[in-house]
Amino acid sequence: MITLFGRKIRLFRPRTIWIRRVVQWFFFLLIAFIAVNHTLVENGGGISFFSSASLHGVCPFGGVETLYTFATSGLLVKKIHDSSLVLAGIVLVLSILFGPVFCGWVCPLGTVQEWVGKVGKKLFKRRYNHFVPIKIDNILRYARYGILIWVLYVTAKSGTLVFEAYDPYFALFNFWSTEVAWSALVILGVILTLSIFVERPWCKYACPYGAVLGITNLFRVFSIKRAESTCKADGACSIMCPMNIPVDNVKVVRDHQCISCLECTSEAICPVAKTVVFTSGGVK
Amino acid sequence: MTLTSKPLAVIVLIFLLGGIAFSSAMGWWATESSKVPVTFTEGEFAGQANPIDIRGSYTFGDIAKSFDVTPEVLAQAFGITEGAPAAFAVKELEAIYLDSGFEIGTASVRLFVAYYTGLPFDTTGQEIYLLQSATKILLAKGNLTAEQIAYLEKYTVTLGALAPVAEPVAESTPVPVETHTTTSEDYIVKGKTTFGELIAWGVPQEIIEGLIGTSMPDPAMKVKDYATTNGLDFETLKTTLQAEVDKVKR
Repeated sequence: MITLFGRKIRLFRPRTIWIRRVVQWFFFLLIAFIAVNHTLVENGGGISFFSSASLHGVCPFGGVETLYTFATSGLLVKKIHDSSLVLAGIVLVLSILFGPVFCGWVCPLGTVQEWVGKVGKKLFKRRYNHFVPIKIDNILRYARYGILIWVLYVTAKSGTLVFEAYDPYFALFNFWSTEVAWSALVILGVILTLSIFVERPWCKYACPYGAVLGITNLFRVFSIKRAESTCKADGACSIMCPMNIPVDNVKVVRDHQCISCLECTSEAICPVAKTVVFTSGGVK
Repeated sequence: MTLTSKPLAVIVLIFLLGGIAFSSAMGWWATESSKVPVTFTEGEFAGQANPIDIRGSYTFGDIAKSFDVTPEVLAQAFGITEGAPAAFAVKELEAIYLDSGFEIGTASVRLFVAYYTGLPFDTTGQEIYLLQSATKILLAKGNLTAEQIAYLEKYTVTLGALAPVAEPVAESTPVPVETHTTTSEDYIVKGKTTFGELIAWGVPQEIIEGLIGTSMPDPAMKVKDYATTNGLDFETLKTTLQAEVDKVKR
C-alpha cells in the first residue's frame, strides 16, 4: 500500500476474489457428488453414508416453485421435498442480508458459466461481455421475471415440475440420466455457447430464481457502496462487473442484477482502498 | 459494518451448512420422500392415506404398505411382468409407456389406487390415462360410481387408441368386465406392437413366453425389435402372436 497524491493505492492487489472461487468449487463438487451418488444408489451402488438426495432435494428454487401448492393444500409439488423449502428459506435470509450471494458464490450453473466465460475473455479480450446492444440488453434483463411468472403459474396449475423439462441446472447434473428432457439439454448447450460471448447469460436473461433473489437487491442490508470522495472514476469497477452494472455511476448498487460477487470492490479491481466496499453503513 | 470476502465466505458456508445441520436436528430436513403419503385431515376418510400424495419414487411395495392394494394387483394393472412387483418404482412407468402416445405414470397409479380402494380423488380438469388391464381390474371389483366409470370410458387406452370400455351403469350395480367393443383393426400385431400391448390385449404371459421360448421381455420392447435382436423371423412370430390375439379377441 502506498500513498500517491494523497490517496492510498495498493501496488499488488488481487484481481479477483479468490475465496469466492474456492466456495464455488466446493459447492460445484458437492452438488456433482450428490447427483452422481444419487444415480449410483438408484442402481444399487453409491456411498451409503453420503446423501443420496435427488437434485430436486438440494435445489432451493424447488421451494419457491412449490410455495403455492404448499400454501393451498399442504402438499409439495411432485419431486420436491422438505429440504427445498428449508434451503429456500436459508437463501432468502442470506439474500435479504447480503443480496443474491447464492448466485455469485454458490449456484453451480453460474460457476460453470463463469468457467466457460474464461474462454470468451481470452478470445475477445475487452469486447467480451459487451456484444449485446445496451437497449436490447436492458429489455432482455427483465425477461427472467416473465419466465418466473410462467414457471410459478404452470407449476401451481399442474402441481408438477413443468420447468424441469427446460431446466439447464437439472440437465447439467443429470445429462447422463434418462430423466433429462432433450429441451433442457438444448437450453444448457445454448447457454454454455452463449457464455463464450456474454458473462452468465442464463443469470442475466432467463434464471427465474435469480429473478426472485434479485428483488432483494432493492432492500438488502449489506450493499456495494462507492465513496465518491476517493473514487478515481476510472470505470474499473463497471468493466469488471460480470453483470455489466455501471457501479461507477452510482453511490449504492441497487441494481436487481447484482450477484454480490465483490469483484468490483477495493478488495479486488478497484485500485483505491475503501472506495468500493460491501457495507451496511454509509460511505463518504 | 463493512465486510470483506473472507468473512462473507464464512458466513455463506455457515448459513448454508449450519442451516442444513439445524434443520436436520429439528427434523425438517428431508431430501427424499418418507414413502408414507399424507392422510386425509377431515371427513369420512380422515386419517387414511391420500392417494394424491403417491410419488414417483414409491415402489408398488411402498403403496401396498399404505393402501389396501397388493403389489401384484398393481403390476397386473400396469402390465409389469418382469422382476418383483413390490420393488417396481412408479416413476419407471412413464419410460415404459413413453411411445404409447399417452402419459401412463404416477397420476395413473394415484387414480387406480383411489378407485380401487374407494378413496376420494378429484379428476376435475385432469386427463389421467389408465391401461385397459387396469380398468378391467377396477370394473371387476365393482365398487365404482357411474361418474367414475364414465371417466374410465373416456381415458382408458389400449396403447395406441382411446377405447370405450363399458357402458355407464348405475351406482353400485355390478359392472360387466368384458364389455369392451372395438374393431379388429385395434388388435393387429405390427412392427411397432410392444409386448406390453400384447399383455394389455389379453394374451397370457405364459403363451407369449411359450412362443418366444424364454421369459417375458421388457413390456416396452417392440416385438419386431425382439425378433431382430434374437435372430427370429418377425413374420413367423407375428403370425403366431396374431393367432393368439385373435383367440382372445374374437
